[in-house]
Amino acid sequence: MTETNWGLDRVSVSYGGRHALEDVSLALNVGSVVGVAGGDGSGKTTLLRTLLGLASPSSGTVHRPDDDDVGYLPASSGVYPDLTVEENLRFAAGAYGVDGGDYRVARDELLQRTGLEGVSGRLGGNLSGGMRQKLGLAMALVHRPRLLVLDEPSTGIDPVSRRELWRLVSDAARDETAVLMTTTYIDEAGRCDAVCVLDEGDVLLQGPPDGLVGSMGGVVGEASSPPDTPFAWRRGASWRLWSPDGFETPETRLVTPDLQDAVIVAALRRREGGEVAA
Amino acid sequence: MWALVLKEFRQVRRDHRTLAMMIVMPLLLLVVFGYAASFDVDEIPTVVVGERASAAEGELPELFQVTESHEGWDRSDAVDHLRNGDAVVAVVTSGQEPRVLVDGTELFSARSALTALSQNPSVPEPEILFNEDLDTSAIMVPAIAGMILIFVGTMITSLGVVRERQSGTLEQLAVMPFKPRDVFVGKVAPYFLVAAIDLVVIIGVGAWLFDVPFEGAAWLLGLGALLFLFVTLGLGVLISSVSENQGQAIQLAIMSLLPQVLLSGMIFPIASMDASIRWISYLLPLTYFTQISRGVMVRGEDIAGLWFPLTMLAVLGLVIFSFAIVRFRHDLMPAKVRRSRRPSAVNVARGAGSAGPQPEEGAR
Amino acid sequence: MFVSAESVHKDFGGFTAVKDVDLTVARGEVVGLLGANGAGKTTLMKMLLGLTTPTAGRVELFGEPIGREARKRIGYVPQGLGLYEDLTVAENLEFIAKAFGVEAPPLGDLAPSKGVLVRDLSLGLRRRTAFLGALAHHPELLLLDEPTSGVDVLARSDLWATIRTSAEAGAGVLVSTHHMEEADQCDRLVVMAGGRVVLSGTMDEIVGNTVRGSERIESFERRFAELAVA
Repeated sequence: MTETNWGLDRVSVSYGGRHALEDVSLALNVGSVVGVAGGDGSGKTTLLRTLLGLASPSSGTVHRPDDDDVGYLPASSGVYPDLTVEENLRFAAGAYGVDGGDYRVARDELLQRTGLEGVSGRLGGNLSGGMRQKLGLAMALVHRPRLLVLDEPSTGIDPVSRRELWRLVSDAARDETAVLMTTTYIDEAGRCDAVCVLDEGDVLLQGPPDGLVGSMGGVVGEASSPPDTPFAWRRGASWRLWSPDGFETPETRLVTPDLQDAVIVAALRRREGGEVAA
Repeated sequence: MWALVLKEFRQVRRDHRTLAMMIVMPLLLLVVFGYAASFDVDEIPTVVVGERASAAEGELPELFQVTESHEGWDRSDAVDHLRNGDAVVAVVTSGQEPRVLVDGTELFSARSALTALSQNPSVPEPEILFNEDLDTSAIMVPAIAGMILIFVGTMITSLGVVRERQSGTLEQLAVMPFKPRDVFVGKVAPYFLVAAIDLVVIIGVGAWLFDVPFEGAAWLLGLGALLFLFVTLGLGVLISSVSENQGQAIQLAIMSLLPQVLLSGMIFPIASMDASIRWISYLLPLTYFTQISRGVMVRGEDIAGLWFPLTMLAVLGLVIFSFAIVRFRHDLMPAKVRRSRRPSAVNVARGAGSAGPQPEEGAR
Repeated sequence: MFVSAESVHKDFGGFTAVKDVDLTVARGEVVGLLGANGAGKTTLMKMLLGLTTPTAGRVELFGEPIGREARKRIGYVPQGLGLYEDLTVAENLEFIAKAFGVEAPPLGDLAPSKGVLVRDLSLGLRRRTAFLGALAHHPELLLLDEPTSGVDVLARSDLWATIRTSAEAGAGVLVSTHHMEEADQCDRLVVMAGGRVVLSGTMDEIVGNTVRGSERIESFERRFAELAVA
């Protein structure tokens, strides 16, 4: 197995003077899942489009395999509502030149792994959200791609389907595929091998999830009344706050931060003009 | 309640497209109807043949514009000219009595001619060729056949790509190893078949219900229909690629249908259109198809007379198709890097430094 | 009790969207309605708003069956935000304020975007505008359908801060969401799947007090999977 490196190398993308992505580098290696997190306007969609070749970078380099080696699951699942499960899969296979015996083998395996073999005759539009996403994933994997790209794969679907989807994705990664997925939810990104959090086109945080929490610096505390610091945010009925060096008020009790805390702190520090933790 | 009224006013004021439609459309229709909508014919192209041709020429009322006058030609030449649509009236002076032949497919010209001639008692009863009873359905059905091809070709096709965009599957097509050409053909092919079937049905029903004749060669009509379909399908895809939703697509499709119905000679004869408007007819594909369908079906016209409309359709088809493909490529996969087809190659896209890509829906 | 739904049932022809659901929202509490798309959350919310009538069961707002009076005490932000794309921020808020017969709310952070058409705003600012609009008439009950989907962590945190502030001021809040990450923000959860309530209680009750961090979500999903395999 050759170790091929795909990804983005110092890529910037701008549309008519506006920076959608600024100096982003991301390594996509076979066998690992990379999560790109960010909200609307963060540049996450631009990153995806640039990686797929649907947009050109204004500087930097994009490394990706041939079209035949890329599998893509769009946010809207890419499933044709007026074709059946089997017809959808056959179309995707045909698009990538997977025919005849190869197709039948792939089809049977994928339908079984996604749990869709019982509904192969059902129309795409009549599938539940979770089933549709799984079909979309099957369509993206039918040709055994080396690079798998997923756009917000678990938005709107039930937790059971989400777990199954995640299992399928990590299986694919193990089977010699590099995976990139985008999400707006930090906990989902936290399950990946590496995380890249984008904020308005810039990289806010990047690295393995545990490492990001570990290198956060400072301490995170919890208080029940509004703290007097810009580095505060709400969590449930209480407040959380961050300080580079300890808290003066005794009512603030220390808590173990999670990835969400790390991201919020980094975003707050950026908003307040400080430097972001690497 | 006033809050609602105020809000609606504000929204309407901002909706420039609707405002334009409300003001421009009526104006446009007024101008068109003023200059185009007329059933009066001012001049009728006429050929005069036979020994006494020049003499006859002088005797014809001003209404008859003599385009060809040949003493050496006889009746069959005159009929050929009528069949090929070069003239509407032919005066045959050879033989004992002068005969006047009138093309029955040009309804209004024919009627004007008959009226003008009936005022001169020395002129014998004119012979009406091709559509002897001056039957309206005989010339309408061929034109409607063209309209059907526009419905299927433009309107329904225009929804095809838009539907794909709305269901989110267009994105995926852009990533799969398809070329824009492949997607284009895939979008258009089924409609070719549907349109062909439609055409046969319309002509069949027309012949059966209205006794519309079919004098000419079926392959010629088929060729005309094929070329016409190229134009209408290309237009459909073009509309698709500039529409964000199905409503817009239908709006544009109707806007492309309406002028063709009004100005192609389907209802109002081109001959009676004011010169300032007539040039528009010559840009419309339906104009040429109607010439072909009427010519082939009712007059039995052959390729000698039809090469011009066929060529025009071919040219229009080429132009629109090329536009549609370019637009499609731009729309579907704007910045796709040209890639080598070797399976193990790694694609590298380098940024150009200062060059920016085409703007998309907005940075996300 | 601000909201009280008992054994609510909703059929659409052959399809049952909501089956035998109980739900309450009290003054000052933030209740999270969790479930995937198609689990019945939006249908349930529509019944609470009086936009649809239940096939069976009872819905009461502020102790009475739903009426026109109740509408004035509710603030609702639908999934699509309910803003006019071709009007500016200020015009939208002005319209909403007039419709409820109150003063237009102060813009605060939105002031710089006052004259921008909603169509040209980022999602985060659109949500902020929709919120302001819903709060303009100081409602006692807030019904929010997926109020934070699509926005980044900080914007989400800010939106939740607004929700909390309203709850602390005495409003009852019902928030529907499909992502477990939001569960921790709520006082109490009602989890739906296939039209039914499969889990309810506080997050601690559901996953146990000792589980922390992202394990809470995994633990939650496991419990859900156990129950929802139906």
